[in-house]
Amino acid sequence: MEETVRKIMEPILSVENLSVHFSDKPVLQDVSLSLWPGEITVIVGPSGSGKSTLLRAVNRLNELYPHCRTSGSVRLRIHGESGDVYRGFMALSELRQRVGMVFQTPAVFPFSIQKNLTLPLQVYLGVNGSTLTERMEEILRDVGLWEEVKDRLRDDATTLSGGQQQRLCIARMLALKPAVLLLDEPTASLDFKSAARIEKLLLNLKRRYGILAVSHSLAQTRRIADRVCVLREGRIVQELDHEHLRDPDAFQTIIDVAF
Amino acid sequence: MFACNGNVETFVLFRLSDKSEKWIEWILLIATCISAVAIIAILSLLVAFCLPLFTLGRIRGVLSSQWQPSGGYFGILPMCAGSLALSLLALSIAFPAAMGICTLLHVLARGVFNRFLLATVRFMTGIPTVVYGFVSVFLLVPPMREWLGAGTGFSLLTAAFTLSLLILPTIVLVLHARLEQIDPILRLASEALGLTPIQQMRHVLFPVASRGMVVAAVLGMGRAIGDTLISLMVAGNAPQFPVSLYHSIRTLTAHVALVVATDSRSMAYQSVFAAGLGLFLVTGLITLFIRKSGKAGREVRREKGF
Ligand SMILES: Nc1ncnc2c1ncn2[C@@H]1O[C@H](COP(=O)(O)OP(=O)(O)OP(=O)(O)O)[C@@H](O)[C@H]1O
Ligand SMILES: [Mg+2]
Repeated sequence: MEETVRKIMEPILSVENLSVHFSDKPVLQDVSLSLWPGEITVIVGPSGSGKSTLLRAVNRLNELYPHCRTSGSVRLRIHGESGDVYRGFMALSELRQRVGMVFQTPAVFPFSIQKNLTLPLQVYLGVNGSTLTERMEEILRDVGLWEEVKDRLRDDATTLSGGQQQRLCIARMLALKPAVLLLDEPTASLDFKSAARIEKLLLNLKRRYGILAVSHSLAQTRRIADRVCVLREGRIVQELDHEHLRDPDAFQTIIDVAF
Repeated sequence: MFACNGNVETFVLFRLSDKSEKWIEWILLIATCISAVAIIAILSLLVAFCLPLFTLGRIRGVLSSQWQPSGGYFGILPMCAGSLALSLLALSIAFPAAMGICTLLHVLARGVFNRFLLATVRFMTGIPTVVYGFVSVFLLVPPMREWLGAGTGFSLLTAAFTLSLLILPTIVLVLHARLEQIDPILRLASEALGLTPIQQMRHVLFPVASRGMVVAAVLGMGRAIGDTLISLMVAGNAPQFPVSLYHSIRTLTAHVALVVATDSRSMAYQSVFAAGLGLFLVTGLITLFIRKSGKAGREVRREKGF
């Protein structure tokens, strides 16, 4: 049933024949994958296999590195229209707003908790006044942070715990109302409990967003993934779906072979 | 003052090192002592020479607003105001320019242009002050005189433009160094939030570097107050209050240079020492401030790396 639903739906994001070079060293080669709304696709692979680079290729963040060269296409589907983000489908800042990203280490700004959230809203969307406060509360509730921070909104965001900081980063990304979320090992630096909270949050969010995540933990991958892409030395060597994920031992063997 | 503090730090650093390098410790210790003694000597000399001003009740005469040695007026207040006005004006020209250059260096310019810009700024630090003054007399003074009708062209504004060129590289390099220390992930994060390069600078990088901005401004201000040659060459040296941008003014430093070079009557001389003491204290305070905020800055600095 699920499969047929997916067949008639079009992917929200499709990466086709993507190759990325850093000063002539190939980091990604001929990568293709698709992302459907309502699903979490997890990329796994050894360290240095290009997982972060793949995520950064989707929102064109690699362009910050002057020696980076990208070829292939990344097609995005927004409000029924689709186009290649590398061929001027939308302005760069609009792309960044549609495709949110959270990094491996929480990257909160060293300002107040409140300012971390309101900064992109004010600067990018021009939201102000009471709408701003309402929006902030709504998003903090979404990520389950409101009760923890409502009395200390003016404290420096760096005083939050790692898990709280990561949830603040997710909140900051959601504030811009994106369509696709890129999550680079969102629980990498967190303890078990904080990681569990974020996993729960992701399972909640996937109904509204297309999610492309990187994970180091196979157990976590099994818990949250709808589909898994195994990346090795810049190539996708295996794609797995629900069937493979059901049986832990079979999944482990497949991963062992692929790595 | 800077040299002295530097030595103290190096000394502490070397204490941990090998025994065979003990003599380095000694040399550094001696150098430190010499600089400390020199500074204390300068300070006491200045105080000693200024003392008669206080004991003989002449301080009023020095802290008055008229300088006319032939008429018995030895007020240095116009020069104090001149120094302050000139350095503030130079800072208000150089600081925004430095912010612009840092924006270019950090988020806009790339590759060759970036390196060229930085090399130019570094090169500017090495240009002798007299060159700025000299060039300004020929290139800046005539148009000021003819186009703006600024009297002789030797004016507060002319000096401020020239001085801003002198302090610009200092401000740029201090600010640049502070911006370099910001964790690159903050740049990535603000980029990922859709902020344009200018918005990133304005809303994230400059605010994060705010302490560095204050230090850069204070350091630039210190250089501006301490500079002698530019004001001597292009500010006109009239001992009057800076009432207009187009009027000629005299700074404390230029005043000291002029009086010492031309006059040696006792009261004029004492006023020079008062000026010297004032300058010494101002630069001392600035150094102290920078060291203080440098320490505080180190505590809050975030770790670098992805
Ligand atoms: N800015 C860059 N400049 C040059 N090389 C880079 C850059 N970023 C990544 N690389 C190279 O690309 C390769 C893939 O890096 P990437 O960060 O994508 O790996 P990863 O799969 O995310 O690894 P990890 O699991 O350790 O995070 C590495 O060999 C790395 O050295
Ligand atoms: Mg990575």
